[in-house]
Amino acid sequence: MMDVGRHPRIELFAYSEVAEVDGYVGNFKVKVRKKARYVREEDCSSCAECAEVCPVAVPDEFQMGLSSRKAIYLPFPQAVPASYIIDMEACLGTNPIACGKCEEVCEKVCIDYDMKDEIVELEVGVIVAATGMDVYDPTELDEYCYTRYDNVITSMEFERLICAGGATEGHFVRPSDHEVPQRIAFIQCVGSRNNAGDKGNAYCSNICCMNTVKDTLLLRDHYPDCECTVFYMDIRSFGKGFEDLYMRSREEGVKYIRGIPGEIREDPATKNLTLTAENTLTGEVVEEEFDLVVLSVGVIPRHDSPTIKKLLTLSTTGDGFYMEAHPKLKPVDTPTRGVYICGCAESPKDVKDSVTQASAAAARAIALLNAGEVKAEAITAAIDPAACTGCGLCAKVCPFNAIEVDKERKTAWVIGAMCMGCGNCGATCNQDAVTMGHFTDAQYYAQMDALIDETAADKIFTFACNWCSYAGADNAGISRLPYPPTARLVRTMCSARVTEDFVLYAFMKGSPIVLVSGCHFADCHYIDANRQTVKRVYRLWDKLEKLGIRPERLQLEWVSAAEGRKFAQVMHAVEELRQQVTAEEIEHTVKVLTEEWEKKLAREAKRKKKAETDESRDEVHVS
Amino acid sequence: MSPETKFTCLRCGHEYVEEYAPDDDVERACPKCRSNSVRPEKVKKKADAAEEK
Repeated sequence: MMDVGRHPRIELFAYSEVAEVDGYVGNFKVKVRKKARYVREEDCSSCAECAEVCPVAVPDEFQMGLSSRKAIYLPFPQAVPASYIIDMEACLGTNPIACGKCEEVCEKVCIDYDMKDEIVELEVGVIVAATGMDVYDPTELDEYCYTRYDNVITSMEFERLICAGGATEGHFVRPSDHEVPQRIAFIQCVGSRNNAGDKGNAYCSNICCMNTVKDTLLLRDHYPDCECTVFYMDIRSFGKGFEDLYMRSREEGVKYIRGIPGEIREDPATKNLTLTAENTLTGEVVEEEFDLVVLSVGVIPRHDSPTIKKLLTLSTTGDGFYMEAHPKLKPVDTPTRGVYICGCAESPKDVKDSVTQASAAAARAIALLNAGEVKAEAITAAIDPAACTGCGLCAKVCPFNAIEVDKERKTAWVIGAMCMGCGNCGATCNQDAVTMGHFTDAQYYAQMDALIDETAADKIFTFACNWCSYAGADNAGISRLPYPPTARLVRTMCSARVTEDFVLYAFMKGSPIVLVSGCHFADCHYIDANRQTVKRVYRLWDKLEKLGIRPERLQLEWVSAAEGRKFAQVMHAVEELRQQVTAEEIEHTVKVLTEEWEKKLAREAKRKKKAETDESRDEVHVS
Repeated sequence: MSPETKFTCLRCGHEYVEEYAPDDDVERACPKCRSNSVRPEKVKKKADAAEEK
């Protein structure tokens, strides 16, 4: 932090937050709100005289509430810049009658009660999101009695207790009587790896096992007489040197019991805690008394990560961490070009992995900035200004905010550098004003005409997204997994490119069944474009039902690139459905939809004629 | 909390109840056959109402 603060080419905004992000790769405009400190940071020398006279004491957030701080305080000992902040919610006020003591004692006259938040505008080429993580709050897990018993603490509180700069200056004591605990239990996976119920998280938090191993060694080193017992599900000690550390902990006498306690009871007199657990290796029920219980809590995404997600147009995985553009090939890139992620913003990880990923993100950013220019995707959208009515629907559904709309001029346009070519706008536009480069409507209709011939009734017509479903079909092929030869696939960049008209056209041409398939929600390569696919399919089911066509004939499936087996299973299931579709049904569908299609063509012709008339009227007016 | 809605699987016909709001960011699958072709009743009702009008 010190190095960052001193670096001539790094501008550090501490105690600030990002308020707004506009623009695109190479041209981001960022508004940063520098929050008022009420202390001029350039003058403050951290002499601490102000804090000494401050009469207000509030719980210290950095020390997990185990000690107090003053209303004027240094957020944490190593804070950069080393400047005090006034917590205005706790401060008694500027009125000298009320207080004003800090201002009186400050020789350097740093205190400025009238300081206001400041908005700083920056122009940057790339953005790296390294927003870190929060720790899981075990309050909801009632079985661990965190809120009931004083001597049940979290691993974060343990850190503050054992740290030399912590609440007790490194003197490890238990909260109830401030005595040094002799028997300490660690319970692993608190809030992690919980697939049952609605409490905790399903994922492994990655760092807790090794953190506990480290804590047990620290305790054995500082307090050789203390006995440590670790209750665990599995000890995950992968990583360089980690297994050695784990074995050292065992050799030091730390007891490891494979089983998570189901019950904690407190002795009201001694405040000692009795844990009951089943040792799943021996099948025995273990009941032991401890002086202190440490809950090894997991890691969760930061509470404000949804705000950053919205500001930077990022996507998140099901667990709330930011999603990378590709898990193997682009692990620090995001779907939004020019925005990178690293550290626990991406997933729970330790310091070493965070540093590695941060270095990777910095290298990716440097490579992009040094190139000086970016190559736009070849498959981008283009809007025909003559056909566009400026309704703004395309802009509303664009996951990359790549479309700008001028309501007055009734037109919209695509920012080429931001468009990633999902085609969602093309599928949404009611005016046929959007053309997708290399994936035009005309090309799709031509493909459909070629695939749906006189034997259409024997075919499963499938739209498969480029990144997942199509690759899933490929995976089924290379894995030699047989699926019905009746399958006919049309590749789209995203399932959101599939318009309602494409599906209706396929039915009109005699398809007994149409399958729309795309990426799983967490895998969508266009942030959240496939959510529009769902909405479109819902609308289509309604429409088909209204037209007397069984909605079951339109199927929707999410298949990932690795799910070749699922792809084959889906195709077998859909083939069964296809065989249930009768020739009469197909005949009825073709008749109904042909009528609908003719009506649609008539409407379009009328609209085009009107547009041409308006245009020629404008020309006459201009001349 | 989102209201509970009846879902119908358009592959196996299984009906089940689940919390649902139109803007839910949830990937749904039939609990019986794991198909993603699950249709919420709410949307069906809306379509019916529109048809009646």
